[in-house]
Amino acid sequence: MIYFPQLSSGATGQFPIARQRAARTVVNQSVQGYQVKLADPAAAIVEWHLSFAELSDQELAALEALFQAVEGSLTPFTFLDPVDNLLAWSEQQNQAVWQADPLLTLTAGVADPMGGTAAYQASNPTAATLMLQQSIAAPASLDYCLSLYARSDQNARLWLVRGSATDAQPVGAQWTRLISAGQLQDAADSISFGIALDPGTTVEVFGIQAEAQTAASLYKQTAETGGVYPNARFRDDVLMITTAGPSRHSCELDIVNVEYL
Amino acid sequence: MFPTLKTGAVMQYPAKRTLQFNTDTIRFLDGTEQRFRDNTSVLHQWTIQLDLLDESELAALDRFFVSSQGRFGSFSFTDPWDGTVYPNCSLAKDTFAFQLRGEMRGKTAVTVCENRT
Repeated sequence: MIYFPQLSSGATGQFPIARQRAARTVVNQSVQGYQVKLADPAAAIVEWHLSFAELSDQELAALEALFQAVEGSLTPFTFLDPVDNLLAWSEQQNQAVWQADPLLTLTAGVADPMGGTAAYQASNPTAATLMLQQSIAAPASLDYCLSLYARSDQNARLWLVRGSATDAQPVGAQWTRLISAGQLQDAADSISFGIALDPGTTVEVFGIQAEAQTAASLYKQTAETGGVYPNARFRDDVLMITTAGPSRHSCELDIVNVEYL
Repeated sequence: MFPTLKTGAVMQYPAKRTLQFNTDTIRFLDGTEQRFRDNTSVLHQWTIQLDLLDESELAALDRFFVSSQGRFGSFSFTDPWDGTVYPNCSLAKDTFAFQLRGEMRGKTAVTVCENRT
């Protein structure tokens, strides 16, 4: 899998980051101002403008290696959006992207810590550990951060699943944001994120989020797509690098994801 | 429904609002004119410029753009000046862009226009 590299900090981008979404709508407008509109969802485009400063030799070499491997704008690579939640349907665990063990009970519509009712209750009535997880098509070897809000009327323990790593975290009566972050020694082309419940445990969960970085940012709700773009490309065939001194490089990149290419 | 900021507001200053009529004019050889309206009523447009947003506020606007499919979808919009609800509005553009200059330093602009009903 060819993918956009992370910096030595574990981040994919530096501030400022700009992102633009473009849709395509065909509009037929009458003289009276009435409009007939047709959507063209397949023509959607997402574009990022990334500015990198103070890159080390190694970081620049990784970017250059990717640029050469994909031959500029010719071939696609996987890009993990640095300003989005990588998981799809972050508040709808009944969607097909979520794989729940058969006997795990999920109840939606529970009051969440943001004042809404987008949390869900997960119960494990069995004598075995049960899991709810989502797999994304991204390299398992990168730095990832899994975060979620959880509470329980019991003094329970919740396992945060981040690929082959599982972190047990205590859950109390108050909503707490639980975080599991790190890098795995795993060469797989996909990684799963989710939760695992001990036998007899009931936990309320909200705002599950995975990011390709070492720390959690503010929760971002997602719908049918998360921030994984397997068909991203460099917009240009030129990569211009400025070197201010030894191991002090800077460059700007435009990345575009076009589904119809 | 158009998303609100964490403060509960829809817009920030400077806020722009446009009212548009559409008048056809026929000018005769003697200089006189005959005018008639193409539209039955005024159409409103709001330019919403937002600064110092956090990532979740930007994500909510981004999600709204995706669910609206750009200017294809329609929604009701409450005019923040007078509270009037305009039931048939759309985004004016097929693009939504933002810039994140740092934590809680997101900047974007969205234009909402009233559709002829």
